[in-house]
Amino acid sequence: MVHARVIPCLLMRNGGLVKTVKYKNARYVGDPINAVRIFNEKEVDELVFLDIGNPGVPAIPNFELLAEIASEAFMPFAYGGNIKSIEHVKRLYSLGVEKIVLNTAAADQPDLVSAAAALAGSSGVIVSIDVRRNWMGKYSVHVAGGTRDLKRDPVEYARAVEQLGAGEILLNAIDRDGTMEGYDLELIGRVCKAVSIPVVAAGGAAHLPDLRNAAGAGASGLAAGSMFVFHGKHRAVLITYPEYEELERLFK
Amino acid sequence: MTSLTENAGYPLAPSKSYQVCTRCIMDTVADQSISFDDDGLCRHCLRYDKLVSARHLRGDLGRDALQALVECIKAAGQGREYDCIIGVSGGVDSTYVAWLVKQHGLRPLAVHFDNGWNSELATKNIERVLCNIKIDLHTHVVDWDEFRDLQLAFLKASTPDGEIPTDHAIGALLWKEATSRGIKYIISGMNFATESISVPEWSYGHSDWRYIKDIHRRFGSVKLKTYPHFSLAYLCYANVVRGVRMVSILNYVDYNKERAKEILCNSLGWKDYGGKHHESIYTRFYQGYVLPRKFGIDKRYGHLSDLINASQISRSQALAEMKRPPYPEDLQQQDLAYVSKKLRLSPQQFEDIMRAPIKSFRSYRNLYEPVQLLRNTVNGLRKYHFYPR
Repeated sequence: MVHARVIPCLLMRNGGLVKTVKYKNARYVGDPINAVRIFNEKEVDELVFLDIGNPGVPAIPNFELLAEIASEAFMPFAYGGNIKSIEHVKRLYSLGVEKIVLNTAAADQPDLVSAAAALAGSSGVIVSIDVRRNWMGKYSVHVAGGTRDLKRDPVEYARAVEQLGAGEILLNAIDRDGTMEGYDLELIGRVCKAVSIPVVAAGGAAHLPDLRNAAGAGASGLAAGSMFVFHGKHRAVLITYPEYEELERLFK
Repeated sequence: MTSLTENAGYPLAPSKSYQVCTRCIMDTVADQSISFDDDGLCRHCLRYDKLVSARHLRGDLGRDALQALVECIKAAGQGREYDCIIGVSGGVDSTYVAWLVKQHGLRPLAVHFDNGWNSELATKNIERVLCNIKIDLHTHVVDWDEFRDLQLAFLKASTPDGEIPTDHAIGALLWKEATSRGIKYIISGMNFATESISVPEWSYGHSDWRYIKDIHRRFGSVKLKTYPHFSLAYLCYANVVRGVRMVSILNYVDYNKERAKEILCNSLGWKDYGGKHHESIYTRFYQGYVLPRKFGIDKRYGHLSDLINASQISRSQALAEMKRPPYPEDLQQQDLAYVSKKLRLSPQQFEDIMRAPIKSFRSYRNLYEPVQLLRNTVNGLRKYHFYPR
């Protein structure tokens, strides 16, 4: 890989793909299997699937669907959502999921991060850190789809999960999610300086220069949702991904 | 695979004596209700000759009529963001329409129906072309669980109309976007020159919601909540009360497929995907695998015969083309695996569907007579220039 990783981050609910704005107003964008097929042909580096579930409804990972995705995807992919036990983790790895993404579980049962890392190595474990700014402009880590405030500083939290054995951080700026206003570069800069593991930035990307800016702020992976599923001013659903040459030029 | 074919009604030994048209390639195998005149010309060619002058305007005549129509469209769209709606699929016809309306200074809104079977090339074509000629896009993504259920219902119904769920929804979407946005013109890529031949037994139901609903009632299990559909009453409302018109713009120009492809490739970055309607994986599979193998229907007979009548290929070219499989054998097998998986059918279940006795829309509730009446009315109005071509 010559350039920073550019990763479509796809949200799932009830087996369909959706896209949110600021973690709300999930809009249906299609069937995950066909999306994977299209991304295959676009030679995407890797994919992230996050099952955002239905608020308040307890659930487990949709193993059947993930097995289908695994059988269709040419590229490595990460999965997060409803992972609650080491049994879940084991089953996901055995299905062919390359990396698991822990969010709520990482906060509620930190041992699970260590246990998963012991199982598959740190490189197989991503901790997703969802960050919201409060009215005073102060960053705070949230879990449970942005509904529970941990009241912890993202820098301190990032160091903690690195200690636990996370091999990668998926850093989401909740306030930028789906807005296509550009990444939160300040947040990315702070967290990247604090840890030595790779940080994948997410939330706000709209155009290619946004990706470059986030890489400039220290992110080693650039995740985006809206940018790769919406097209134009009507936010028409259309799967796109930059050509290899475009990315090479961008990061030169 | 031959056993499938034999079972499913490819009449290997035709009951009546074999006859092929002297001009096109339609024959007694492709169309069992075909008839010929004394010179050996088939009913499709006779119909073509009879209608072509009324339906397809060529040269200066077309240019003048199109110019007048463009003025009407512009006038009707004054003060609005868009003056017409175009459907886009990523295929040749619709992409050429996009290019053509821009050439004439119209301000189209492109509408795309995403049924979960887009090929990568189709999405790439839509992206490239619309960016290059600056057309805004609206997409309707059908709920996959609903749509899967409906497509499966049609497979189980065993009629050759498995593409109707898509065709009907596209129609519904175009009419609804037009009426809800106050846009008076829908510009379609239908064209007499390259798609005039229709054999009733090949496909029915584009406008028949009653038929679709009945099949779904019998074979479906997921409630259709968001699937776009329309009734004949709605169609009349859109046309008569709201004054929305559907115009087949390609009937006003000398539409040549190969030339059109050249223009699209060279100036818009469009890529050819080979095969008519192959921008959708399901369409490719349905037309290239299910229809020929189960129903003995090969729509290429119609497409190629149209191109012969339009003088865009020779009869020998068409015959040579028919010697090839509908599309590459290895791709057929790939599609078979993918389609079965996506529809959640085991290989055995799919095989059972392929072997099930063939039925027609007449086995189900339908509105065949009213639909024909409506179609004939519009065609009648066209003849006297009360409705655009």
